[in-house]
Amino acid sequence: MTYFRNFFSNRASSVFLVFTVLFAFFSFFSPEHRFIRPENLGILMAEGSEFCIVVLGVGLLMICGEFDLSIGSILVFCSYIFIRLFQAGMNLFIVWLIVLVLGAAIGFLNGIITVKGYIPSFITTLGMMMFWRGITLLMSEGFAAAFDRELSPGFTSLLTGTVAKTVPVQAIWFVAIALLLGFLLHSHKFGNWVYATGGNLSAARAMGIRTDRVKIICFLIVGTLCGFVGMMQVVRVSSFFSRAGDGWELKAIAASVVGGTALMGGRGSMTGIFLGALIISIIENALVMLRITYFWTYMVFGFVIITSVILRTSIERSRLSR
Amino acid sequence: MENEENLVKMVNIRKWFGKVYALKGIDFEVKRAEVVGLLGDNGAGKSTLIKILSGYHALDEGEIFFEGEKVQISSPTQARRLGIETVYQEQALVPYMSIARNIFMGREPVRALGFINKKDMNTGSMDALSRIELHLRSADTVIEMLSGGERQGVAIARALHFKAKLVILDEPTIALSIKESKQVLEFIQQLRREGIAAIFITHNLYHAYPVAERFVVLNRGMKVADVRKEDVSIDTLSELIVKPPPQEA
Repeated sequence: MTYFRNFFSNRASSVFLVFTVLFAFFSFFSPEHRFIRPENLGILMAEGSEFCIVVLGVGLLMICGEFDLSIGSILVFCSYIFIRLFQAGMNLFIVWLIVLVLGAAIGFLNGIITVKGYIPSFITTLGMMMFWRGITLLMSEGFAAAFDRELSPGFTSLLTGTVAKTVPVQAIWFVAIALLLGFLLHSHKFGNWVYATGGNLSAARAMGIRTDRVKIICFLIVGTLCGFVGMMQVVRVSSFFSRAGDGWELKAIAASVVGGTALMGGRGSMTGIFLGALIISIIENALVMLRITYFWTYMVFGFVIITSVILRTSIERSRLSR
Repeated sequence: MENEENLVKMVNIRKWFGKVYALKGIDFEVKRAEVVGLLGDNGAGKSTLIKILSGYHALDEGEIFFEGEKVQISSPTQARRLGIETVYQEQALVPYMSIARNIFMGREPVRALGFINKKDMNTGSMDALSRIELHLRSADTVIEMLSGGERQGVAIARALHFKAKLVILDEPTIALSIKESKQVLEFIQQLRREGIAAIFITHNLYHAYPVAERFVVLNRGMKVADVRKEDVSIDTLSELIVKPPPQEA
């Protein structure tokens, strides 16, 4: 019983409410209830999970008080390196490791520059966003490149196959990573350091927490996830395209905020971030289902972001005044 | 060894900040379980002195002895290891985290692989709170929900729990209501009952007077008085704080 009470007094419960409402709304109002049909849910889980996985990292980083605007660019650069190494004939599992390390390294770079250079992460990652996409465009000359899925079926199914013929593996990855990061955030001492660093940096430092290290690790996690998803995307689409990840940075921040993460840091939960990511994904998917032109998407996003934050803030304020 | 009764002994401490001569050769002692009021106007050097003791600043000249042994305090972590805890003005608490998580911030009790032992964290917190007679419903309450006095209580309980031998309180009653200030002064009395020494820095003589046993007054980087409460009145103390000191050594 206390479990339920704790659940609903949680910030994430209002996000869950928004998610349920949207899901029900789209299921009901899409023509022939297409939204909730297996074909669509399959697509949603396969494609939407990519963005959702990245949001998990971005949300974690926001809780420790920093932003990463370069996620789309890390993603596209990693996909490019992936495809080139693939074309060079390297063993795909080795390539996978290399690209993950590459993503981690770029994240690490973001972190080091931000903390040691005393530069706001907003600025560092803004510059990096342009830099990495620029390099990718330069090296790829804007051309797409094909990925042959047949070449390594084991690798392909690990990243994009299905489990029990119904659930796309990407969704499993999403849930698994969410659980892992969730445990890290809520049950591990590192998670406590993340909340402390984001909630009151000087307090954290005064108590001996190595806040620089905490931030760098969070940047590193984001970078790794971007590399991971970049590869997953190339495999799913069977090609590299130079616009991959474009515009994800603001959507990811929006998804985190909808999920209860505070812009200032120090507040948020993995459950909330998980749901926030899903909300943004289902909106995009559903707007297609409802035959609404793509341009409406942005308006709807804006509406949902503002409404969910107002909803959450008012729930919190009524609880505080009790 | 002489001076075993002194928990802390700072000898001839000098500190410069660039050209500013902040501490001009201060001698400062605190006995075990003693509450010392460190007084002085703005810029007298009180904060600087205790920041040296708590590891934030390095001294330029002088020595520090802790429990009779000479020590080098080069970081807050080192100070904490010696048993010196500081309760800051801004309390060094994270507003949206629970009491338990705040108390154990950076020193979380863990099981295997670094996973927090939430049960220990909880019992430890309730334990620490009860030692200063701060009665709160649950250690899961978020700091933001507590009053100013209760927050100070949590910060003090934290210092207590980690077996502090000396707690430094930097303006603990600033911005608190009268009722909350009283509560904090109670907590400080409780520290003494637990055998913990305290240095209490404040502008507010009326808060320090009932609680401290001894007063040290700094004025423009020099010590101008070191008196027991019985030997001095509040008026004399205020005079000592504002009167310009004799020529520097």
